[in-house]
Amino acid sequence: MGLRDILTGRHTVAGPAPDRLFAISTAYIALQSEHSIDPSGAAAIVFQALATSEFESTLREMEEVVRATGGDSGTTVSTQDDSFGYRWMVLHNPPATPSVEDLAVGINAVSGSIETAGYGDRLLCAVFAFVDAQKRPVYFIYNYKRGFWYPFVPVGSAKTNERSTERELQLKAQMGSELPIEPELERWFPLWGIPL
Amino acid sequence: MSHGRGKRSDFGKDTGLQSRMLLTMFLLGLLYVVFIGVLIAVGAGAGIIVIVALVMLGGQLFASDKIALATLGAKEVSPAEAPELHGIIERLCVQANLPKPRVCVMDTSMPNAFAMGRSQKSATVCATSGILQLLEPAELEGVMAHELTHVINRDVMVMTLASFFATLAATIAQFALFFGGGYGNREEEEDIFIVIAVSVAVYAISFLLLRALSRYREFAADRGSAVLTGRPSALASALLKISGTMDRVPSQDLRKAETMSAFFILPARTKKSLMNIFADHPPLEQRLAALERLESQLQGAA
Repeated sequence: MGLRDILTGRHTVAGPAPDRLFAISTAYIALQSEHSIDPSGAAAIVFQALATSEFESTLREMEEVVRATGGDSGTTVSTQDDSFGYRWMVLHNPPATPSVEDLAVGINAVSGSIETAGYGDRLLCAVFAFVDAQKRPVYFIYNYKRGFWYPFVPVGSAKTNERSTERELQLKAQMGSELPIEPELERWFPLWGIPL
Repeated sequence: MSHGRGKRSDFGKDTGLQSRMLLTMFLLGLLYVVFIGVLIAVGAGAGIIVIVALVMLGGQLFASDKIALATLGAKEVSPAEAPELHGIIERLCVQANLPKPRVCVMDTSMPNAFAMGRSQKSATVCATSGILQLLEPAELEGVMAHELTHVINRDVMVMTLASFFATLAATIAQFALFFGGGYGNREEEEDIFIVIAVSVAVYAISFLLLRALSRYREFAADRGSAVLTGRPSALASALLKISGTMDRVPSQDLRKAETMSAFFILPARTKKSLMNIFADHPPLEQRLAALERLESQLQGAA
């Protein structure tokens, strides 16, 4: 943001950063083999759904594209809105053959068509779900504005909104060489109530 | 910050508003240059002026937000205490690529919100418990996006710097009045009279210009909120709701809040002013009209 933008109070929403989404499709191998954290076969992309007819029709086309491309691998798509008004497009692999690559391709197809339609600035993040050896959920969140990943480990019940920062920092140390991890800890924003 | 191919990149652009803002700032700057020129011409101690100026400026930039928060009784809340508010702000921070500000809640029934802090790193956003009860999540999101836009645009910094010389002029006028008259020769008395007259004039004119600037920054923050959330009508609805309950506010809260009025989403006093040029916020109707234009822009109708 330049001086002129500050003086005139002009402000635009940044589009997505250079794409590092696909880092997950290799990083998960290390997660699985070295740290016993398995993909749970689900991922989601979160964005602001504009209440315009043009945006809605973009979404419908996009869903069809993902359904068509996901048909071979058996990936299913569902959408839902959260209490903050953000839309979640959730991709599920068949439980027998969870494939992080397929999910990343699917998520990328969604974000790609949102960007092509000119709505790239509406993308918030992508979430990939994993489970550790004790069957507890572990999430990796990709921030589109920053092009960085960070781990998110909610603990306790859904009501308490607690996270295990210790576990997240361990994951950062374990995965730092595989994933571009968000360097600023204060930007590891939690997402409570992830529907994955 | 442009992202070329997005056909929506023009959404929320308002060149007219930006040029009015620059013109106002230019006039303010011109006024201050003339002011300083006159002060030096009549031989006021330049060293003293500079020292007083720097101390005042430093105090304003580094302490004013803490003092204001303490006076208003705003308390920082943790994510566990206010999960919804934190959730909204966190998502907006991701969207705006902004570090998360401190989140405060002020315990009063008056529905309002404001932002403070000289930089993005030291920012604080505050909501009253009244506004948290009053608004739907989408409306609250619009209001918080408005406040975060103040942070992004560094409005506290801009307004502090812009109003700095006005404060200085007021101080000089007071000093000159108290200590100026009575002794010294005739020529010195004339000089002091000139200093007082110029200071008063500078203060009066800069006051009006500052109010105009403040109104433009409000429009800019409304627009920034619409751009950030993609829901201009949610903010419009929030403004309507807030203004509807504003009149039923206990007077004590009003007086307490009055000093911080410039950074509130809506001013604490809503009595209709005959002369809008004295107001630090634009009239509600104009803000609603601007948001309406943004909504039709978004819907592709304009």
